[in-house]
Amino acid sequence: MDVLRNKARDLLAQGQVQVVIGYEAGTGGARRPSFVRSEADVARLVWDADCVGNLAGYLTRAEIKKMGKIAVVANAATLRALLQLTAEHQLAEGAVSALVVTEEGAVLELSNAQAVTEHVATLPASLSAADREKLDQLMALSREERRAFWEQELQRCIKCYACRSSCPMCYCGSCTMDCNRPQWVPVASHEMGNLEYHTVRAMHLAGRCVECGECGRACPVGIPIHLLTCYAEESVRRQFGQPAGTSATLNYALGTFRPDDQETFIR
Amino acid sequence: MSRLGVFVCHCGENIGATVDVTEVAERCKHMPGVAHAEDYKYLCSNPGQNKIKQAIEEHQLDGVVVAACSPRMHEPTFRRAVTDAGLNAYMCEVANLREHCSWVHEKADSTTEKAIDLVRLQVEKVKRNKPLDTIQVPITRSALVIGGGIAGIQAALDIADSGHKVIMVERSPALGGHMAQLSETFPTLDCSQCILTPRMVDVSRHPNITLLTYSEVEHVEGFIGNFKVAIRKRARMVDEDLCTGCGECLQKCPTKNVADSFNEGLSMRRAIYVPFAQAVPNIPVIDTENCRKFQGKKCDRCAKACPTKAIKFDQKDQIINVEVGAIVVATGYQVMGTERFPEYGYGTYPDVITGLQFERYASASGPTQGVIKRPSDGKEPETVVFLACSGSRDAAKGVKYCSKICCMYTAKHAMLLKHKNHHAKAYVFYMDIRSAGKNYDEFVRRAIEEDGVKYIRGRVSRIYEEDGKLIVKGADTLLGGEPVEIKADMVVLASAALPNHGQGELAQKLHVGTDPYGFVAEAHPKLRPVETTSAGIFLAGACQSPRDIPETVGQASAAAAKVTALLSRSHLAREPLVAEVNRKPAPQFSDCTGCLLCETACPYQAIGHEEIKDRNGNVLKTVAKINPGLCQGCGTCVSLCRTKAIDLHGYSNEQIFAEIMSL
Ligand SMILES: Cc1cc2nc3c(=O)[nH]c(=O)nc-3n(C[C@H](O)[C@H](O)[C@H](O)COP(=O)(O)OP(=O)(O)OC[C@H]3O[C@@H](n4cnc5c(N)ncnc54)[C@H](O)[C@@H]3O)c2cc1C
Ligand code: SF4
Ligand code: SF4
Repeated sequence: MDVLRNKARDLLAQGQVQVVIGYEAGTGGARRPSFVRSEADVARLVWDADCVGNLAGYLTRAEIKKMGKIAVVANAATLRALLQLTAEHQLAEGAVSALVVTEEGAVLELSNAQAVTEHVATLPASLSAADREKLDQLMALSREERRAFWEQELQRCIKCYACRSSCPMCYCGSCTMDCNRPQWVPVASHEMGNLEYHTVRAMHLAGRCVECGECGRACPVGIPIHLLTCYAEESVRRQFGQPAGTSATLNYALGTFRPDDQETFIR
Repeated sequence: MSRLGVFVCHCGENIGATVDVTEVAERCKHMPGVAHAEDYKYLCSNPGQNKIKQAIEEHQLDGVVVAACSPRMHEPTFRRAVTDAGLNAYMCEVANLREHCSWVHEKADSTTEKAIDLVRLQVEKVKRNKPLDTIQVPITRSALVIGGGIAGIQAALDIADSGHKVIMVERSPALGGHMAQLSETFPTLDCSQCILTPRMVDVSRHPNITLLTYSEVEHVEGFIGNFKVAIRKRARMVDEDLCTGCGECLQKCPTKNVADSFNEGLSMRRAIYVPFAQAVPNIPVIDTENCRKFQGKKCDRCAKACPTKAIKFDQKDQIINVEVGAIVVATGYQVMGTERFPEYGYGTYPDVITGLQFERYASASGPTQGVIKRPSDGKEPETVVFLACSGSRDAAKGVKYCSKICCMYTAKHAMLLKHKNHHAKAYVFYMDIRSAGKNYDEFVRRAIEEDGVKYIRGRVSRIYEEDGKLIVKGADTLLGGEPVEIKADMVVLASAALPNHGQGELAQKLHVGTDPYGFVAEAHPKLRPVETTSAGIFLAGACQSPRDIPETVGQASAAAAKVTALLSRSHLAREPLVAEVNRKPAPQFSDCTGCLLCETACPYQAIGHEEIKDRNGNVLKTVAKINPGLCQGCGTCVSLCRTKAIDLHGYSNEQIFAEIMSL
């Protein structure tokens, strides 16, 4: 922890970054994001196994970009999101340094996309064992059973859009959900509207979701909504073999025209 | 509130017999926004169009729905009519009551109801239509011709004669393509070289033509009227400006055992060579794969021999960037090699040859100065069997299509054999004789009746060697399938014509479609035979499908006419039905997030990006930018865009949504 704090202090002191985004102690033992802008605040930073949140969501916010150059304390999911955001031209190459605390307690500073890409290649899958198990269970269900499962779960959705706000890949300034000319998706949180919202979101994340599980953690009514986007991501990966968040160059399976595509309908 | 007019067409009986057209018009009168509705027997006729024009004036209509046949048929007709009456062309839409309704349903109330629904969709759409103006794109007034066979030569000369600059790119070291290899040509038996050489010289001397041989297209971007092409001019190792074509170097080269591809491997050439005596340009090229110097050995005999010091061993490939408004693809074909025929010995019998090899034997400039010999021992063959349809019309072993030229050149070959050796026996195995064309059937009859060529209708099942002879086993289907066996000295396969090698890669670079066989696809098999699926790129000759010289030349001139028509204007008008990235007031500036996922999705590479800047030039946002000159309005990006930042003019999200919601 001290190594991390020292690193943050150095970066701030030397003016290499203007803000370090990391984790600090929250209520009830939870970890919450911390925006450290002066050496004095460095002591707030913590690092332990509870630091599961994906901080990459903050990197694309205008108010944060305005602060100057950023260093972010990054777990695996944050790193993946960082790469995907770079690929999608939301972060300029080198605009953000990632601080990675290794198992041995050392701090690596990954200051460009190549360094992040190489590091990510050494990491295991993002999904937790518990989520992996739940996802496998869902995949084993029949189509009808799966639909019934989601209809049941989504009944509780109150359309607060916490899932969207927490998602690092939901960075769009104007979301289709808010588009009212035409009103593609009904606003009210009735059965149809909920299903439409979540299907559209899952489709928008298929091939882009970095599987951090942030939306599931954010949901105030406890819907494991991340399983839907992870499911979509995994379907794309299985069929096209292009995992999101592993490279800073775009290779988006659902939107790349290739004259040599094996599907003939496209030509 | 809109004031729309709805005009319902009977299309004679085509719609009228199945749909209650009067009822449709009557019901449309009550749709909100519709100020006038009527039906008429034939709206596309002059009186029909006049009815529309009159109604626009009389009822002060601001939009029109014509319920008739497919918009592919008459949308332009009706759009012109509404323009005559002072409306914007794009304030008129067509509801397809024929192909989408009357032709596919029985007469019934529900059919009429569907017709009314189809009109309602368009009414809702037109209410939201906006006047659109055609897009003007400037044109670079020069053309690129790819391939220097007879197709490319003819196209280049025609375009250049009309006053436009032409850049001609030929992959091999010399012009001419396959025609340069031919001996005499059907149906007149005039010497191929003699009629071709003057054309090749014309190309090299034409002030409007830049000839780049030994060159290939490396990269193409841009769109109709505005292509940017990078051409790789491969290093010849001979300075083209210094070389006088004296040929001293050719004599001195010690490497003499390279298979001569111009002679289809029937003779040997040196490592520095000119493909054939009349080659244009008459400048040698060093084949670096076989040259001693490039294989690390010591040798510079050619350089020593050259009186002008034109040999440059350190020459490098050059990339030449050009801008052109139009492209003609004339890359020709290749023939199937003998190794593709297991039943004829997989290419292991030297005396089983292709028609193209026979051409080289028959040619006065060929390896035997026009004496027909056989490869194995150089003897003049007495009995020669010609197999038409070798690999053609045979989905199982070769290609499904007819190679079209083989019937004719096989008759020619048999005839040439008889002319050169009166005692020789010529047999032709054929499936049927396809000799449609001016003087073609007469030509084949001449071979059979005057020159005594034996035509046997049937296929050859096997060829094998026995005592220095080739035993050809077949059947005569006109004699009830009776087995036939011929002891031949040589067998000539009229082997199938195939898409040229490298055709697939080139098609990809150009973004032109290919047919299932790999030939370049035409935009429409009947009505647009010399256009490709990409605007501004045309085709000519055997790259489209196998064809003979007259047809090739005709097509090349047709392609040239299309190019000339395109280049005769300074600007090009395009349909404004293109996609556009939206703009919004600050702080959003646009719904576009600049993720640029659409960039890779666009099949026409129409999408790039642009920076939105404030007055002081500070970048506020980077967003996708669609080039209206390139966009084909396919809508791929519209459906891909998560934030719905892209809209297609004429088919906006709002319009489509309103259509769906009206049902
Ligand atoms: C055995 C035989 C006998 C024939 N006899 C007759 C006859 O008697 N009468 C008759 O009318 N027709 C005859 N034909 C048909 C005739 O050969 C063709 O009609 C004619 O050659 C077609 O011309 P082309 O220019 O389209 O193609 P080609 O002659 O194939 O020329 C294509 C040219 O494009 C070049 N090229 C290819 N790819 C590229 C590339 N990627 N970049 C740059 N350049 C490229 C090639 O090097 C070549 O020079 C015969 C054909 C055969 C096989
Ligand atoms: S966070 Fe939960 S309740 Fe809110 S919109 Fe997402 S799924 Fe619905
Ligand atoms: S509409 Fe089609 S062609 Fe036009 S920019 Fe979008 S994807 Fe490209």
